[in-house]
Amino acid sequence: MKKWIGRMALLFLICIIGIAAALIGTIYFHFISQRIYEDSTNHLEEIYDQVNYSFGAFVEKNWGLLESWGSYMSLADDEQSDRVHDLIAKEQKYWGFSDFYFVSSGNGCISLEGIDENIDMGEEWKNLTEKREPVMAGETLSSGKEVTVFAAPVPKGEYKGFSYDALAICYTNADMASSLNVNAFSGNAKCFIVHNDGKILLSTQTGGNVYDNYLVYLKAASDISDSSIAKIQKDWSEGKSGLLYCRIGEVDYSILYQPVGYQDYILLSAVPQSVVSAGFLSVQKTTTNVMIVLSMLIGAAVIVLLVMRYRKMSLKSRTELQYRERMFDVLSSSVDDIFIMLDAEKHSVDYISPNIERLIGIPAEQAHKDIRVLLNCVVNSDIVIPDSVLEAIPLQGNISRECEYVHQSTGERRGYRMTVYHMSIQDVRKYIFVMSDRTMELQMNKQLKEALTAARTANEAKSNFLSNMSHDIRTPMNAIVGFSMLLEKDADDPDKVRKYTRKITASSHHLLSLINDVLDMSKIESGKTSLNVERFSIPELLDELGIILMPQAKAKTQELRIHVQGVAHEQVIGDKLRLNQILINLLSNAVKYTQDNGKIDFTISELPQSTQQYATFCFTVKDNGIGMSEEFQRQVFSPFSREINSVTNKIQGTGLGMAITKNLVDLMGGIINVESCPGKGSTFTVELTFAVPDEEENELWYHKKITNILVADDDEEICIDIQELMKDSGVGVYYATNGAAAVDMAVSAHNKNEDFDVILLDLKMPGMDGIQTAYKLREKLGGGVPILVLTSYDWSDIENEARKAGINAFMPKPFFVSTFWQTLEPLFSEITVRDNEGEDIGEKVMAGRLFLVAEDNEMNAEILTEVLAIEDVKCELASNGVEAVKMFEASEPGYYDMILMDVQMPVMNGYEATKKIRASSHPEAATIPIVAMTANTFAEDVRNAMDSGMNGHLAKPIDMDAVRETVIRLLGPSAPSTNK
Amino acid sequence: MKKRLIFAMLAVVMICSFTGCASNKAAQDESVTLTIMGKQTDLQKSYMTSIFDRYQKITGNKLDIIAYEDSEYERAAADAFEKGKGSDIFLHFHNADLNRFRVSDNFYYLNDQDWADELTDSAKAYCMDKDGNLLGLPFWENSVSGCYYNKTLLNSLGLKPASTQAEFDMLCQALADTGYTPICWPANGCSWMVQFGLDPIFADDPKLLDNINNNEISYSDIPAVKDMVQWISDAADKGWFGEKYLETGWDQISSEMASGQAVMTFIWDTWFYTDFEKGNKYTVDDFALMPVFLNTVENGTYEGGNLNMMMVNKNSDKLDIALDFLEFCASEENYNIAFDGISTVNCFKGQNTNIQSEMVTDAQKSIKANERVSTAASRIVGYSAEDMVDALNMMLRKKISVDQCVKLMDEKRIAEIKSNGASND
Repeated sequence: MKKWIGRMALLFLICIIGIAAALIGTIYFHFISQRIYEDSTNHLEEIYDQVNYSFGAFVEKNWGLLESWGSYMSLADDEQSDRVHDLIAKEQKYWGFSDFYFVSSGNGCISLEGIDENIDMGEEWKNLTEKREPVMAGETLSSGKEVTVFAAPVPKGEYKGFSYDALAICYTNADMASSLNVNAFSGNAKCFIVHNDGKILLSTQTGGNVYDNYLVYLKAASDISDSSIAKIQKDWSEGKSGLLYCRIGEVDYSILYQPVGYQDYILLSAVPQSVVSAGFLSVQKTTTNVMIVLSMLIGAAVIVLLVMRYRKMSLKSRTELQYRERMFDVLSSSVDDIFIMLDAEKHSVDYISPNIERLIGIPAEQAHKDIRVLLNCVVNSDIVIPDSVLEAIPLQGNISRECEYVHQSTGERRGYRMTVYHMSIQDVRKYIFVMSDRTMELQMNKQLKEALTAARTANEAKSNFLSNMSHDIRTPMNAIVGFSMLLEKDADDPDKVRKYTRKITASSHHLLSLINDVLDMSKIESGKTSLNVERFSIPELLDELGIILMPQAKAKTQELRIHVQGVAHEQVIGDKLRLNQILINLLSNAVKYTQDNGKIDFTISELPQSTQQYATFCFTVKDNGIGMSEEFQRQVFSPFSREINSVTNKIQGTGLGMAITKNLVDLMGGIINVESCPGKGSTFTVELTFAVPDEEENELWYHKKITNILVADDDEEICIDIQELMKDSGVGVYYATNGAAAVDMAVSAHNKNEDFDVILLDLKMPGMDGIQTAYKLREKLGGGVPILVLTSYDWSDIENEARKAGINAFMPKPFFVSTFWQTLEPLFSEITVRDNEGEDIGEKVMAGRLFLVAEDNEMNAEILTEVLAIEDVKCELASNGVEAVKMFEASEPGYYDMILMDVQMPVMNGYEATKKIRASSHPEAATIPIVAMTANTFAEDVRNAMDSGMNGHLAKPIDMDAVRETVIRLLGPSAPSTNK
Repeated sequence: MKKRLIFAMLAVVMICSFTGCASNKAAQDESVTLTIMGKQTDLQKSYMTSIFDRYQKITGNKLDIIAYEDSEYERAAADAFEKGKGSDIFLHFHNADLNRFRVSDNFYYLNDQDWADELTDSAKAYCMDKDGNLLGLPFWENSVSGCYYNKTLLNSLGLKPASTQAEFDMLCQALADTGYTPICWPANGCSWMVQFGLDPIFADDPKLLDNINNNEISYSDIPAVKDMVQWISDAADKGWFGEKYLETGWDQISSEMASGQAVMTFIWDTWFYTDFEKGNKYTVDDFALMPVFLNTVENGTYEGGNLNMMMVNKNSDKLDIALDFLEFCASEENYNIAFDGISTVNCFKGQNTNIQSEMVTDAQKSIKANERVSTAASRIVGYSAEDMVDALNMMLRKKISVDQCVKLMDEKRIAEIKSNGASND
């Protein structure tokens, strides 16, 4: 409003100044015009006063000349006519008259040449001849030349026989004009000597004259009224002067008249006013022009100054605006808030912050063209503000909405708080949308909520765990304590003692696994777990898993099937122990939570290689067990979680197994997923990547002269798979899908003296099974060709019969090249097939050995001593590391077979003691096997043991199978005769 | 035709059979037949038939009138003379078409005839070639073309006629200032005005005429032509022709002049007796004559009449009788009888039975000083008055400039020559 008033005031001021300037200009112009009019009138009158005076003088002069010549000529006689002629010719040249005539009152006129000329002079003739007065008259000569005649009476004379009494000279109009000096107006003035009736006597116009009676012409051609004409006539008749103005045609004239002073002649001039005032008008025009130019210059200067000032202000404003815009752009680009300004009437976009592309994925230009494009990004369309709501926002008011937008490029959802302000900017209504990004805030809230939920869940889980643990620990402990009491009570009853000890042992194992899990979980969660990376064999791994889990599955009459698909790399580098732990957890869970007679499929497949240095394996454990609810699937990997239902309640568990598994998979950089359906079973999938050891050129087959083998399996895919797996070995693989065909092929080759180097038979084939086929082959081929049986079943039950059929060895399914080779190698090394005494050797592997046992805990030492005594192993005890070192150094070489070294001991721990032993001068310092025997069971404990120079690691409590296995590995089985 | 030929041969035989065949008396006694060749319409003029009848009646000679259709006349007559079969007397205007008759070969120069001095100066001048040879006896209605003005009106306005181009311009402006149309310029279909301006250019400098007819120069090379065109353009712009001059045609000239709407027009005296409307505000007595001013000559010009001449075949075997025939026609008594009551300007000094306008009589002094024979229209080969006006009208309609107008006049002239196959050699 203030601006409007200001503008109106400025406009009013400009109008006032303009009107004042125009008024002043008009007054000035009028004043100047008036002055010019007066001056030009005076000027005109002065000029014609002068002309009149000149004319009078001219007339008088001519008459005077005529009179003087007349006096002279009156004295001349006829003989002197030549002299007269010369005189006049000379005078003519001097005065400029065109003709000279001798005039006779009765006989007309003759020229100097004596030629007659008809000059009548009208009324003036009488004045001349009768009144003897000098006269002046207009005349047209016989030549057509129009002249003004001046005549004067002179004394009578005679010229060339012509008697004259007057003389006359003539002037042309041009000569007259020149003489009268009326060219003051550049020939634009009409100057006449007229009679008082208007009849023109003399005209001084350049080029001639067509006016006969100027008064008549004025009356006809000009705008002079009849009364004015009458006044002019009256003035003329009274010999008065006058000046009037009139318009003839398109031209304004000043008409000036004044009596000549001779007879009733009037000097009449008609001069265009533009000519009269030319000089003054020129001054006026120049003055006006100068004023206009000055005004324009001043105006221009003012305008330039105003424009410069405006431009400067505008530039400053623009610059500030640009700065602000730039700053705003930068600001809006760097924040996650979107700003939009809409025209309230047109809903066109006036401004949109450039960060909209970054935040919503819509280019600002696109949104600028049509703001409705944003509607496509809104998640909850119900928050769209309709026009009616916008219109309802009062000026300076605002409304707010929470909304969520989907980023058009990334699909990311972002939450905004949209505030719409209704404003009036320079009298134009605008809506300003400020969309404040609340994504982080919402996410944080969500995370906090989730964290709170997780904390609550964890808390609940821990509570549950503690509750479970309390129950789970107390349960075996209760059994141990209870059965220990019963043991003491029934010590004399061997059956009860064995029964109680078995139950105490079982409870102890359960308690131990419980503790191991808790410790494992704790170790993993604390981030102290590290991987023990080593080269291992996938087939071996599967073999071990089979050994561990097959009995469990068998115990529940479950079918545990192991599938291998496309495993190209059998040797990999990784933490076999942890992988084993993962798979055992999954498989044991599968066994645990699958009902009797259920099915468990364990599949290992190698995924396509992305790099040659690594191979990725997918381990899938699928069962048709009890499955899991969707809710539990989400927390199956959370620690201390167990689904509580009627079935699981009966199954012992810590609720840490899957959490440990998940953490181990994460630790190994793998992925674990679960799909499950309650009542239908679960499928766990683990993907892990292992480094692949450098390939060693396998020339073993060639050296052993194994070039062709025959495979017989009713499953052709297995045959083809074996072909594919053996492709790189250079060994030709031929197959038959039944036993008879295999026999035919073998016989055929044999007859050609091209026996197969090895024959591999599936145990269970339709028709002839593997054993029957072996019988047939041995019958046809004899004993030269090694025959192996490939089976996924435990072959212990049929081993004796197989041996009888001539089968040299068994191979577990699935087929692995390395397993195949390991099976064949002894055969080709002419190692005889071991006899049936093998089981006894296992029991006596440690018999007669002498172990140095370093153990600070007397109870543990005693248990170990007693347990090893069962194995016919003798022990010498050292209570700490120092003592152990001393005893070893003091021993004779070969005295001790092995050192079992506790790690945590007073005085000197096991690692230090080992290092001392290895560093000692004892001849067997470097070779004596030292095995750690400790409750520190983690991978780094094993690695530390190895690093200190130990050869093995046994976890407490002592598992005799592990001890036996380790001893055999390090020392080999004891000779039967050995007895220290 | 055959009858004519046989008749003519018999006449020749009869003439030759008599002695002293040249004398009038002999002719009275012995009838001779002269052949006269001319356009049918020309030969039917009353003064023509009158003089023919009178000749035959008085002399007893016979006249064999060979009349051709107007459209065939030039070609047929030329063909006859080409074949040596030209008539004894040959009627023709002194114009460009006469060139095709090889004048010097076929016609007798008449300067030595007694009646030659009886001709008025203008008539005699018209009948002479550029070398001063008198080609024929003018026996035709004569007229004077000039600027006819309303003297009554002029006097009432306090004005008088112009004697120079400057005065004429002054007069036009003075008249314009009074509100009258100074000049009636009938641009629509009237074409004679331009030739009045061109006459002085070519009549005063016969070499120019030769040069333009020889294609050595064009109108564009003659400054006076452009001066004239420029003046016409300026006059129109100043309003001297009035406002509707482009629509003014033959039929409007009379009303404009008689009503006093226009003060002056370029026309000829006999027009006042043939086409000027009677019963209007102004009568023929209100008009006077002054020269035409078209800015080609300072003192203006008049155009003399275009006259039909009686020419004598120099190769005729009745040459003397033919010359006698001309002498008969040039006899004061005979021509006054023939032109009795005919409105014409005198061709003969002793002509007194004809009707000659006072306008011409009053302006005799000026006419004598400023009259030119009709030169442009009759002597410029390829000249077409209509073409000239067409070009002018295009300029007056502002479609072309002055220079383009002059150029167009030339182009039209050349085109006319080509279309007619006319030679301007």
